[in-house]
Amino acid sequence: MLKKRLVGVVIIKNGWAVQSFGYDRYLPLGKPECVIENLDRWGVDEILVLCIDRSASSLGPNFKLLKNIARLGLNTPLIFGGGINSVKNGIDAIQLGADRICIDSMLQDHLEEAEELTKHLGAQALIGVLPLSISDNDLKHLDHRQKLNSKISNEHLNEIAHVVSEILIIDWMHEGEKEGFDARLITDFPMNHVPLIAFGGISEHEQMHSLLALNNVSAVAVGNSLNYKEHSVQKLKDNLMHTSLRQSDYESKHTLLNDV
Amino acid sequence: MGNHASVLHCLRDLGYRVRVSDARDDLSEVDVLILPGVGAFPKAMEELHNRSLVEYLQEQAYLKKPIIGICLGMQLLADMSYEHGVTSGLGLIPGEVVAVSEHKWHIGWNTLECIKGSSVFTSSDKKAFYFNHSFMYGGGAEYQMCVSNNNEIIPSVIRKDNVVGLQFHPEKSQGPGQELLNNLILELCDA
Repeated sequence: MLKKRLVGVVIIKNGWAVQSFGYDRYLPLGKPECVIENLDRWGVDEILVLCIDRSASSLGPNFKLLKNIARLGLNTPLIFGGGINSVKNGIDAIQLGADRICIDSMLQDHLEEAEELTKHLGAQALIGVLPLSISDNDLKHLDHRQKLNSKISNEHLNEIAHVVSEILIIDWMHEGEKEGFDARLITDFPMNHVPLIAFGGISEHEQMHSLLALNNVSAVAVGNSLNYKEHSVQKLKDNLMHTSLRQSDYESKHTLLNDV
Repeated sequence: MGNHASVLHCLRDLGYRVRVSDARDDLSEVDVLILPGVGAFPKAMEELHNRSLVEYLQEQAYLKKPIIGICLGMQLLADMSYEHGVTSGLGLIPGEVVAVSEHKWHIGWNTLECIKGSSVFTSSDKKAFYFNHSFMYGGGAEYQMCVSNNNEIIPSVIRKDNVVGLQFHPEKSQGPGQELLNNLILELCDA
């Protein structure tokens, strides 16, 4: 059977990998390539590289970074997002080395463009990004470009679900908080047939266990906490051995280590 | 249309010399042709027609040149697909490409089950590989070497003579993917 996935997230701001807290505070981690190489070595199921400053600044996708990542020769599937706002952008991203792409502002501004992109790439290559929160028992969507938090209609969610294969739900309010993710963003999501990737404030294996047990969760995405210690992915996967996550294959390429 | 970079790096890591090309002269000099693919069937066939590669690939298959199709590249090997309407494929392995029915997609890591006894794929039996597709091969069982299960049977490796289709991405399936791809290329080149 299909396994659920642990996605390693690398947030990029101004070309640097950063830790992000609540969409408004950032701490530098270093060169993106180094962080991405670690995730590839550690055996995450997918790597998500999200350039958070590209749409707001109308800069378009950071293809220079994507080319550098492609040169690493990753053995792990790569999802790339940030600034993709046209069919050409999306196709270019795939041809430069992304296996799948995230789209955010295109879903809000030019849904017809996203539909056209689906015809070129297939919906399986597209992930919709929704930064969400819950207030007054309503699901609110954050337009991070204008810092506007507004109610999102079921009709619009339905339209989005038709052009993407999965939706990345970001708990932006609790991003960077230990065990901060608000599970109601999943349980209250109105369409239970859409596979969801949960992200933002997910750090502990017990919390991941609960989220992965939900039928509509296809993956949990983890950012900051993976960088706090070496082999964090292996440790998480060991603790989640009895869930439907894939157990990673850790075979050292270094003979000295193999002999220990 | 495809993610050439990933396949290129994977093969180079395995020690192979690799060319990315759509020129017949280049393609005719290699030992194995690999058709990677990310995207939708009609657009990919259109690109192959635009590059006059459809007849070329059919000729090469007839001449028993090893050909490996990956993901969409595997689907292109079939006779036709129902993705966004009906489109003719390369017709190198008999069968149609139909929508994944149980769920709309098959995205993530799934295990292979080898169903044809001993083969080059036997060492990959029960190992997990990365899939990312919404259509699948719907042809005869005689061409299916391995399958995967996701509440429905999904053909994951198909083969006719020296033409092989891999529905998953070996280049993105970490150690098991590299091992399978290496074994397959070695076997095809020895055949």
